[in-house]
Amino acid sequence: MTSKTMWLLGRLMHRHRGGLKLSSFVRSASCTAEGAVAPPVDSSVTAEQAVRLWAQHFTLHGISEPLLSSQYIIAHVLGRKTLDGVDRRRLKDPLTDTERVSVWKLCTKRLTSMPVQYVIQEWDFRDLTLKMKPPVFIPRPETEELVGLVLEDLRLIRGESYGTDLRCLEVGCGSGAISLSLLHSIPQLRVLALDQSQAAVCLTRENANRLGLQDKLEVQHLDVMGDALLSKCGPVHFLVSNPPYLLTQEMQSLQTEILRFEDHAALDGGLDGLSVIRSILVLASKLLKERGRVYLEVAPCHPPVIRQMIEETMPGLLYLETRCDLTNRRKKVKQV
Amino acid sequence: MSSLLLRILYGFSPPLHRQLFKWPFVLAAGKKDLIDLPVLNEEDLEEQFVRGSGPGGQATNKTSNCVVLKHTPTGIVVKTRSVTHNRKLARDILREKLEVEYKGEESELLRRQNESIQRKQVKRRKVNENIEKKRRFKETLNAEDFGFKSQEP
Repeated sequence: MTSKTMWLLGRLMHRHRGGLKLSSFVRSASCTAEGAVAPPVDSSVTAEQAVRLWAQHFTLHGISEPLLSSQYIIAHVLGRKTLDGVDRRRLKDPLTDTERVSVWKLCTKRLTSMPVQYVIQEWDFRDLTLKMKPPVFIPRPETEELVGLVLEDLRLIRGESYGTDLRCLEVGCGSGAISLSLLHSIPQLRVLALDQSQAAVCLTRENANRLGLQDKLEVQHLDVMGDALLSKCGPVHFLVSNPPYLLTQEMQSLQTEILRFEDHAALDGGLDGLSVIRSILVLASKLLKERGRVYLEVAPCHPPVIRQMIEETMPGLLYLETRCDLTNRRKKVKQV
Repeated sequence: MSSLLLRILYGFSPPLHRQLFKWPFVLAAGKKDLIDLPVLNEEDLEEQFVRGSGPGGQATNKTSNCVVLKHTPTGIVVKTRSVTHNRKLARDILREKLEVEYKGEESELLRRQNESIQRKQVKRRKVNENIEKKRRFKETLNAEDFGFKSQEP
């Protein structure tokens, strides 16, 4: 640190403490990409104070969701998922040395616009808690609804306990959210999950192990657009995917958290946003068993285009329906 | 365990505003260290889905999407990190919070948490003492006077 910075921090400490006593001064002056520096702190800071301090600091540096970020990170350090899961009295106690150092370290990462999910290295998806690691795509809440729809549809077709012997293929598994959610709900299901990113393949396997679902899930490093897949996948009852569906032109206006930290290949669907979707549908027409289904999450503009694509170029597939999520995005269902 | 049972049987007088709420307490059978948590009435609960701003889908990464479970009589709130939450888990957390809220200082949960913290503090103190002892011993070894002074066992 320069002497000027030291002087400035000394002045801040003085004002903050109102005295000359310099108790353990945490020198977390690691600089972020924009040169943002963590605020100074002394050893008596309570959890509550740390939440406020960091929320203010995030706001000062233009970090999105400043209060929520602060709350999630500090709750995580205190062993809970959300701050209201922490006992009210605990919030008023000073943080321990270990806790304080951890909070400062993690919040400093958030100062770089790293998504909270990557900072605390986990997030929830439906009933599961999954490990998160950059740059593997962070599951979105809309995809939780997709899984709900798949389960509902399967119960309708195959009965309340989903029948016997069910096989599924997931394209673009990312952290494993969709596959592991389905496996968690359907004990007799067996899944083959693919991803073109080795990091995603590794993370999916790690999450499967953590949840004890590794025996029911096979994960392969394959690209649905390039690799010859048919020899590697047997016929399946259904296909599911949250494929990259953004238009290339939409990529540049994404928020910093996404642009800087998430895998662009998990988002960019090409000029019309349909490049990966097209490959998935071609694969589906060859891999699906009789009356098997494909469930896809797509962009709001896609359903009519996809319907036309199927009717004109994919005789083996029949377009069934479009379902909207609560924010009017689309989920789709197709049948062989 | 018996001390807890006694407290329930003979009652304890919570502050007036707390006496307005009658909590039926249920002892969960079969577990070694039981804490009696309040029973929840579904009609006292309110579930709300909170949606973040932005276009949604892949183009957005917001952490504000959640389910908020509210206990209307007390206003106590539990939030989730997903939109299709684990209903049982959220309710269990709510029950824990209600236990603390109702029993105040007598809260069993708080007592156990404090005991655990105190145990850790005692342990930390002992570790520090040992480190200090070792440091002093090393210093005597490094002292100018090489006449061996054995101060520590």
